[in-house]
Amino acid sequence: MLTSHDFSSLVIDTLCDRAREQDFAVACFYCDFTAQNEQSPTSTLGAVLKQVVSGLKEIPEEIMQAFEDQKQAIGGRGLRLPEIVKNLQTISSSRHTFICIDSLDECVPEHRVKLLDSLKSIIQKSPGTRVFLTGRSHIRSEIEKRLGGRILSLLVSPNEDDIVKYLRARLEEDTTPEAMDDSLESDILKSIPESVSEMYVGGVI
Amino acid sequence: MSQNFSGNINSFNISNNFTTVDQRSEILAWLSPLEPRLRHQDIRTRRVDDVGDWLLQTDQFRNWCDVTGQDEFDKAVLFCYGNPGVGKTHMR
Repeated sequence: MLTSHDFSSLVIDTLCDRAREQDFAVACFYCDFTAQNEQSPTSTLGAVLKQVVSGLKEIPEEIMQAFEDQKQAIGGRGLRLPEIVKNLQTISSSRHTFICIDSLDECVPEHRVKLLDSLKSIIQKSPGTRVFLTGRSHIRSEIEKRLGGRILSLLVSPNEDDIVKYLRARLEEDTTPEAMDDSLESDILKSIPESVSEMYVGGVI
Repeated sequence: MSQNFSGNINSFNISNNFTTVDQRSEILAWLSPLEPRLRHQDIRTRRVDDVGDWLLQTDQFRNWCDVTGQDEFDKAVLFCYGNPGVGKTHMR
């Protein structure tokens, strides 16, 4: 099945390839409704911060200090959301940072609001930051409202070419190839993309 | 026990001004126990080559991706929306 994950992972890989040539950071996060409890704004942006920091030659002094300080607390404690946001603001001000978050609609609405507000304060402080988001269309107005200003948006749905490539790849994996003949294969490659693209009239192709 | 011992050797050999490899990974794990890059690896291995490449050629993507010019708040965010399960019923 083709999902937004496929588009997100393509974008993330493309950015990672470029990041090797130009010096910038790429961090990703895939929201998942089956993991909603562990995907709070704090843990989501904590995971983003971890990826950004892992690309630095040296761990920033502030983070080292916070790490040492928290050892005094019983059982230790992680960074709080404002601290995570502050660290991301600082790092992304000196190094272009791409933050990619997939399937935002799978995030709990209360979490999503906080997450978007946090992203907004990162971008405001450090306009060189780039944020890539995917999600179902019903959260579009929420994203525009929360992030303020204009955002670039793009309707994404697989075009006919994508579907044919996808089907070809899956047919090649067929474990019972003897059941397939050329005419059945060409029927599949012709009829399925037609019916799918009919569902997406007006899509970006 | 042996792990502690080798950890001590490690921090002993390297100047205190630098984080050791162990300390570095300890701090990273402390920042977050989650591993979104593993999820990414999993998804990318199942991705079919070249599918969705057109997205990379769109004006929106190119414009968003370009960090060489002036920093503009207006193009900091690219939101790709759609029905994430396209072909759910067709492509089992």
